Amino acid sequence: MASRLPILRRISILLKAPPSTTLRSLRPSLARRFLLRKVLAPNVSPWICAAASSFCSGPLNLPQDSQGPAAIDYRSVLSEDEYHRLANSTIQDLQEKLEEFGDIVELEGFDVDYGNEVLTLKLGTLGTYVMNKQTPNRQIWLSSPISGPSRFDWDHNAQAWVYRRTKANLLKLLESELEQLCNKPVNLS
Amino acid sequence: MLRLMAKRLLGTASRDIPSRPLQILPRLYHENVIDHYNNPRNVGSFDKNDPNVGTGLVGAPACGDVMKLQIKIDEESGKIVDACFKTFGCGSAIASSSVATEWVKGKSMDEVLTIKNTEIAKHLSLPPVKLHCSMLAEDAIKAAVKDAEAKRAKMNGTLKGADVKSG
Repeated sequence: MASRLPILRRISILLKAPPSTTLRSLRPSLARRFLLRKVLAPNVSPWICAAASSFCSGPLNLPQDSQGPAAIDYRSVLSEDEYHRLANSTIQDLQEKLEEFGDIVELEGFDVDYGNEVLTLKLGTLGTYVMNKQTPNRQIWLSSPISGPSRFDWDHNAQAWVYRRTKANLLKLLESELEQLCNKPVNLS
Repeated sequence: MLRLMAKRLLGTASRDIPSRPLQILPRLYHENVIDHYNNPRNVGSFDKNDPNVGTGLVGAPACGDVMKLQIKIDEESGKIVDACFKTFGCGSAIASSSVATEWVKGKSMDEVLTIKNTEIAKHLSLPPVKLHCSMLAEDAIKAAVKDAEAKRAKMNGTLKGADVKSG
């Protein structure tokens, strides 16, 4: 309960901006509860459109390749079940391969941890990788000590996870970075 | 009398509650993040219909982060004279967008496009899992600049049309 309060406060600050037609008819307290319920619900695509319209005025002028608010309906790109199947198999496969890699490369502070669907790879003083699923966007998010944050989408044609901005392939990126950091090649495909 | 009562209270307290080992939290927010969270700079809104205001809106509530960053452009110089933000998200997201509004002020639109998420992340000492917040702040800056440029182009286009008509 206590964790909801900061969120409500933030939402109410945002709501003080001119409300959209979708929320105007609702009383402020109802609007807040509506927001909170929808934010915490899993399939929120119709809500995303409502939220976007409540925050911004006209059409969104975003760079073509930016990951903006859901102008794309990700449900049509990949179904949620299919996404979970693909993402889970990718991440679990990676976990096994990285554990094997850890046995080969004797690195102090090497640790692979998978909990709450988040894969954390610690390379001691060389840095930490964090990989997690971002279900609403049907993406896998990676945080790398070399290349920073990246967001991978499933490319059906390539049958791989690809970062649109750089066209990088998730597995290839990890392979090249790990080889660079640990001076030992690794095969993650 | 009061001192006696206080001693008694403390005495009972120490007897009833077993002493707990001191828990050291493994992860802490950097003081810069806490500063921006407690004293956020430039929170607010500009009139989005103002032709000199560029609005960048990035993120989605379902993802847990939404940032709205607005910049006010000086008509003559084309520089950013003011910026404000509103963010729904974690402390790191709020701090990242707050830092972004500070850094864009007084710069030209071309200059702010060179602001990288790595610089924001370094300034706030963001942990790996929060690097995405800094990237979102960089995206917000880019989106705001793009919007401002589109508005300026539209305005210039309209003015040119008027000249042609009257001339």
